[in-house]
Amino acid sequence: MAGILFALPSILGLIMFVMLPMIASLLLSFTDYRIVNTPKFIGFTNYTRLFDGTDPYFYNSLWVTFKYVILRVPLGLVFSFIAAFLLNMGFIRGKSVFRTIFYLPSIVPAVASSMIWLWLFSPDLGLFNSFLEALNLPTLDWLYSEQTVVPSIVLMSLWGMGSTIIIFLAGLQGVPRSLYEAAIVDGAGAIRKFRHITIPMMTPIIFFNLIMGSIGAFQVFTEALIMTQGGPNNASLFYNYYIYRQAFQFGEMGQASAIAWILFIIILLVTVVFFRTSKSWVFYESEV
Amino acid sequence: MNIANRLAGAVLSAALAISVLLAGCSDSGGATKGEVGKEGQSQEETVTLKFSFWGDTIEKKTVTEALERFEKETGIQVEPMHVPADYLTKLTTMVAGNVAPDLGYLSSGAALSWGRDGKLLNLTPLMENDPDFNKEDYLDQVWYEIDPGNAIGMSTAVEGYGLMYNKQLLLEAGVELPPTEADKAWDWDTFVEYAKKLTLDDQGRNALDPNFNPDKIRQFGLQYDPYNMMAAVVSNGGNFLTEDGKGFGLAQPEAIEAIQKLADLMYVHHVSPTPLQTKNLPDTALQTKKVAMTVSGNWALQAFAEQDFNLGVGVLPKLKVSNTLLDGAPTVIFASTKHPKEAWLLYKYMADPESVLPLIEGGLWMPLKKEWYTNPEKINKWAAGNKAHPAGYTEAFMKQTIENGIRTPGFEVKNLDKINALVTPALDLVWTGKQSAEEALRGVEPKVLPLIEGYYGR
Repeated sequence: MAGILFALPSILGLIMFVMLPMIASLLLSFTDYRIVNTPKFIGFTNYTRLFDGTDPYFYNSLWVTFKYVILRVPLGLVFSFIAAFLLNMGFIRGKSVFRTIFYLPSIVPAVASSMIWLWLFSPDLGLFNSFLEALNLPTLDWLYSEQTVVPSIVLMSLWGMGSTIIIFLAGLQGVPRSLYEAAIVDGAGAIRKFRHITIPMMTPIIFFNLIMGSIGAFQVFTEALIMTQGGPNNASLFYNYYIYRQAFQFGEMGQASAIAWILFIIILLVTVVFFRTSKSWVFYESEV
Repeated sequence: MNIANRLAGAVLSAALAISVLLAGCSDSGGATKGEVGKEGQSQEETVTLKFSFWGDTIEKKTVTEALERFEKETGIQVEPMHVPADYLTKLTTMVAGNVAPDLGYLSSGAALSWGRDGKLLNLTPLMENDPDFNKEDYLDQVWYEIDPGNAIGMSTAVEGYGLMYNKQLLLEAGVELPPTEADKAWDWDTFVEYAKKLTLDDQGRNALDPNFNPDKIRQFGLQYDPYNMMAAVVSNGGNFLTEDGKGFGLAQPEAIEAIQKLADLMYVHHVSPTPLQTKNLPDTALQTKKVAMTVSGNWALQAFAEQDFNLGVGVLPKLKVSNTLLDGAPTVIFASTKHPKEAWLLYKYMADPESVLPLIEGGLWMPLKKEWYTNPEKINKWAAGNKAHPAGYTEAFMKQTIENGIRTPGFEVKNLDKINALVTPALDLVWTGKQSAEEALRGVEPKVLPLIEGYYGR
C-alpha cells in the first residue's frame, strides 16, 4: 500500500498526461475536428482518406521517414559504437576530455544545433562546401536538393549521438575482464577478442540502442521544422512534421490524430519485430 | 527513460489531446467566470482585453505604446500578448483551449476559415451601431468578408509592392532610373536589358557581354523572392484562381508565361539569384552592392532606412499592365470575447493611423484611412520627407497601390493554405530549374482542382 502511495505521483502523471490524452486522441481520430467546430463522429474516414490516396502527402511522408530511419539507425549504431570503443581504449590520453567533447552536442538544444548546421550546410559560404572546394571535389547542395536533404539531416543527427555513446561506453566497461584474460591465455588476438567477446557481450546494449534509435528516428521533427519546412518539394516532409502541419497549420486535429495513431502502430510493429528477432542474436549472460 | 515512456512520446497526439482536455476544463471555468462577470457588473468594474500580435522589436514597442495610450484614454485595461514566432500554432492552441485573446492579428487564411466557422465576430453590426464610425473613411480594399455583410475585419495595415534600388549602382552602369508612374513603367524586355547591365561577374563584365561568366556573379541585377510571384502573374492578366473561382488560375497560359519569365531571370538571363544563391545574400544586399534592384513590399523600407545607401523607388516593370499587389493580414475580434463593445473601441483605435504613426512613418505600414492618401497635410505626415519614404514614393508606392493594387489571394481565396501546400512544392521544381512552369503547374493542377472552393465574400 505504501509502495503504491510512493509511486502515485508517477502513476497519476502517466494516467493524466499520457493515457488520457492518448485515449482522447484515439477518439478524436474518428471525428471531424477542426478546432473551431464541435467534433463530429465520422467513422474511419480519417484513416481511409490516407490509404486510398486522397491525402497527397501520406505515402510521401512515410517514404521520406523510412528513408531517414534506414540511414540513420545503422549509421548511428556503427558510429557511436566505434566512438565508444575508441573512448574506452586504454592507451588514449585525456579520455575524459574526449568523452566530454563527444557528449557536449547532446546538451545543445536541437533548435540551436539546427541553426549552427544551417550555416555549415550553406551552399556558398558553408564550412562543408569550403572543405570540398579545398579538396577540389564537387560541392553539394546539402539541404537544398531533393537527393541530399535526408542524408544531410542524418549527418547532422550523428553529431548528437552523445547519449548512445555513453550507453555503449558503460556496456563496454561492463564486459568482464576475466573473459579477455582467458582469451589472451588461449592466444586470441585483438580482432578475435573483439569478434568473440566484445560483440556478443554487447548485444543486449546494441539491441537496446537499436530500439531506442529506431523509435527516435521515426519521430524526427525539429530539423524539418527549423531547417527545411519539409522542402524542397516535400523531400523532407517527415512524418511528425506532417502531423504538426496538419494539426497546427491546417487545424485538422481529427486527421492529425489519425495520422499520429498510424505512426504509433508502425513503431509498435517495428519494436515487436525487433524483439522477436532478438532471441536469435542477443546474448544474455543471465540466461546461460 | 524506459521504452513505454518513449513509445508514449511517439504519439504527438498526446499533446493535442491535452489541449482538448484542458479545453474541456477551462470551458466550464470560463463560463462560470463570465456569469459572475455579468451578475457583478458595476460601473467601477474594469474590463481587461487581451490583444495578441506579432512583429519585430520596433513594432512591439509601437503597438505596446499605442495600447498603453488607449488604456489611459478609456480606462479599459489591455494586456498585450506579443508572439514573435510560431504565431498561428500558439493562437490555434489557445482557441482549442477556449482561452483565445479578445482581439489581435491573425494570418488571413486562418482568419477566413475561423470566421466561416463562427469563431470570429462579424464587425458589421458593431459598425452600423456606432455613430462615430464611418466605413467610408477606410479603404475599400482592406476588408475581409466571409460573405457579403459578414466582415471579420480589415488589414492591420496596407502593404504594396514596388521596385527598390541602390541609386548609385544604376548611375554607375548608365541605366535610366526606374519610372515612378504607372503609365511609364518599363516593359519586360527593357527591364531585362537593364537588369543585365546591372549584373556583373567577378571580372566586372555585365550580362550583355559575350564573355560574361554566370558562375561567378558578383552583383545581381535583381533580387526577388520568386515564391512571391503573384505580382508578375497579375501584371500579365492572370490570377491565383480563374475569375469564376472554379479553375486553377496559376495553370492558365497568362500565369504560366509570367512564372516562366521569372524563372528565366535566374536560369536564362542570369540576372537574378536562384533560391540557393539567395541563401548567401545578406539582408544588406542593396547597401553592400551585391544586388542593384529588389522587388519587395512596403515593409522592407523600414530596414532600408536604417542602412547607409542612396535608396530609390519605382513602379514594378510590367508584363501586360502596370499594377502591383496589395497585401495584408487582418486584425480580428474573437467571438469568444466577453467584451465586444470594448474590443470594438480598441479595434477602431488601432485602425486609426494616428495611433500607430511611428510604424507608418518608419515605412513598415501604410495607413488604412483614405484621407491619408489624398490630403497633402496627412500625406506629409508619413509618405514624404523622411528616410523611409524617398522621392517618388508617393507615386511609385502610395498611388500605385491604391489605384492599381490587386489584392493578394489571401484576401479572398478559400482553402488557400491547403492549396499552397501543393503549389509550393511544385514551384520548388520551377525555381530550382528542374521543370518548366508549364510542366510543374499543369502537373499539380489535377491535385489542386478538388481543393478549389472559390472566393470568400462573393
